[in-house]
Amino acid sequence: MARKSFMYAVLEAVQYEMRKDPNMIWIFELTPPVASTPGMPVINLEKEFGRKRVVNTGIDEMWMAGCVLGAGLAGSKAVTYIPYQGNGMVFQMLQNHAGKLRSMTGGKASMPVVFILEMTGQTPGFAGQHSDYEIDTYYAHIPGLKTVIPSNPKDAKGMMAAAIRDPNPVVFLWADGLREMMEEVPNEQYETPLDKAALRTTGSDITIVGSGGGMPEVLKATEQLQQQGMKVDTIDLRVLKQMDTETLVKSVQKTKRLLTVDQSYYTLCPGAEVIARCAENVDGARFKRIAFPDAPPPAAPEMFLWMRPNAGHIVAAAKKMVG
Amino acid sequence: MAELECSEVSQGTENARLISSPGRRTFLKGVAGAGAAVSLMSRNAWADGEIGFWAKDLPKDKLTEMFNTIVRIRWYERTMVDKMITDPKFRGYNHFYPGQEAVATGVCAALNNKGSFDQLDVVYSTHRPSGHAIAKGVDMKKMAAEYDFRATGLNGGYAGEMHIADPSCGFMGADGMIGPGPVIATGSAFAFRARGSKQVSVNFGGDGTYATPAFHGALNNAALLKLPFIYVIENNLYHQYAHYSYSCPMKDIADAARTYRIPGVVVDGQDVFQVYNAAKTAVDRARAGEGPTLIEAKTYRYYNHWGAPGAKAGQLGAFGYDPLAITSFRPEREVRAWMQRDPVDICRNTLVNWGVLTRAQADEIEAAAKQEAIDASAWADQQPFCKPEDGLKHVFVEGAVLARQFG
Repeated sequence: MARKSFMYAVLEAVQYEMRKDPNMIWIFELTPPVASTPGMPVINLEKEFGRKRVVNTGIDEMWMAGCVLGAGLAGSKAVTYIPYQGNGMVFQMLQNHAGKLRSMTGGKASMPVVFILEMTGQTPGFAGQHSDYEIDTYYAHIPGLKTVIPSNPKDAKGMMAAAIRDPNPVVFLWADGLREMMEEVPNEQYETPLDKAALRTTGSDITIVGSGGGMPEVLKATEQLQQQGMKVDTIDLRVLKQMDTETLVKSVQKTKRLLTVDQSYYTLCPGAEVIARCAENVDGARFKRIAFPDAPPPAAPEMFLWMRPNAGHIVAAAKKMVG
Repeated sequence: MAELECSEVSQGTENARLISSPGRRTFLKGVAGAGAAVSLMSRNAWADGEIGFWAKDLPKDKLTEMFNTIVRIRWYERTMVDKMITDPKFRGYNHFYPGQEAVATGVCAALNNKGSFDQLDVVYSTHRPSGHAIAKGVDMKKMAAEYDFRATGLNGGYAGEMHIADPSCGFMGADGMIGPGPVIATGSAFAFRARGSKQVSVNFGGDGTYATPAFHGALNNAALLKLPFIYVIENNLYHQYAHYSYSCPMKDIADAARTYRIPGVVVDGQDVFQVYNAAKTAVDRARAGEGPTLIEAKTYRYYNHWGAPGAKAGQLGAFGYDPLAITSFRPEREVRAWMQRDPVDICRNTLVNWGVLTRAQADEIEAAAKQEAIDASAWADQQPFCKPEDGLKHVFVEGAVLARQFG
């Protein structure tokens, strides 16, 4: 056990699998597979495994995604890290190929591959193309792709190990705003399931559901609400496809109030799916979602930070529902 | 630009190129490549002794204006670097252009930058847009305000550095993505051709754009359709933090032009007049309906990919280790070696040598440019901040979208 960043925790999982499997490959651009943390050895996949297996490519994300898909079809485990600037460029490879090939081949195609798709750090000032947070919706919509979105280093490590071992193509959404997050993470390899949401706090007044980069604000709001005496079931989705309906429904059956929180745009945000599933299965509940407005994120911090859901928004919305 | 070893090229039936070899020969090859462009464009002119050194025809005021543009870009950027380092209130995220000024200046000097929108040549820029914007005629004050997200900035605080745009002078915009730009630029070129206009569409892109599928899509379609399109590769040797040898198997990206049977020109990107010569040839060719040109300007950026790591206030250039580079970073001696061929110095010395400017006049122009940049930065600091709720505007032409962040 040691304190590790998101990056360190994930690379630790990858390093373990690459040492075990000499065929496994890693493709990247811009973001080198390098991480360090106090008291632990530096991880540098490029140095350790060489440029035959670990390659820094040109700026061609479609090729990166296609490359790992082809490697998978040929029988090798493969992972690519697509930086946020390119996370839309790979859409065709995932939507029309990785997501459909298993079905189209009648179960013959094998794709033990992981597409790490970085979502931006939502840094105010980067504007539009560099501060959006929308691909959770896009990629979760595609059948045939397991789409996960860890919100802390510990889950990220376990889900990466599970994703690499999973025989299906996995989209591993990487909320870059969590890059600096540090926490205690076990040194040994372990798996975190790719089909389970996590109940972070339990309570009977309201269910609050968030995911990925939005979780720190959701947890902050939960704490404030608890201090004010509210009993909150806080759920970290962790998995968008296939979504853990059971955990969600069970909670809402108890609380009868569901508030979803998304950094993604309002229309078709993951929370919309959460609400739909609960509405189908729970009678007499109240629902509310808060999300980023249906607008590209503007550069100016005054506008951007006002638009992005934060703990204050969540607390106010929860009190309105419970009060 | 084409007096050396050009006969071999101009007599070829295709865009013939000399075999690459290191050192001076590589430079000669670049020069010969420029000759190839001329030979493809109009063999008659070539045969008549037209050597393609178009800067010979430029009047003194135009040459002076080119120097003025170079120093305006240089000092706008140096002012921004210093601001980023010394002013904790400045919130911008800049990708600095110094070292490459001659490319933007030389290309835009060959374009039509004034007049009605249906007469302007258009420029599509990159995530490193300041030079292209200034050379195209964008207002420096409004740019400075936009870089700090002010409500009265060029784009009302929505753009920041990476998305500035001013179609009123044909500056179609910066772009934070690598790839789509050149394709979109060919779309504008297609429209020009379809409506019988003489306008030209120019795309600036870095060496990193070679690896994108869009590179092929843009040049292939531009060649097939003979579009009035010019693809200017600013090869500053590094895409983001990786040397271009990671993404391109050729030393000269311009070699790719052969595939499309269009001129591929290697030009010294530190010499504004060489850049101008190549651009003028390409523009004439495009306006004459003869199709696209790929220009590769060999250049260098004095700062790291992003921001000011390694830079000091008052000092030109950034040196040493960029923590973001991790596995691939630039040797300091490489930076310093390139700075020996500084585009500002080359332009100044050439114009003094030609008798266009005295050193004193050049110094005066540079001092005025520096003052303009300082004034622009100060003006920007006085501009109002954006109203939060305005973030819901400009999603569609009409109206505003709903706030969804509240319960």
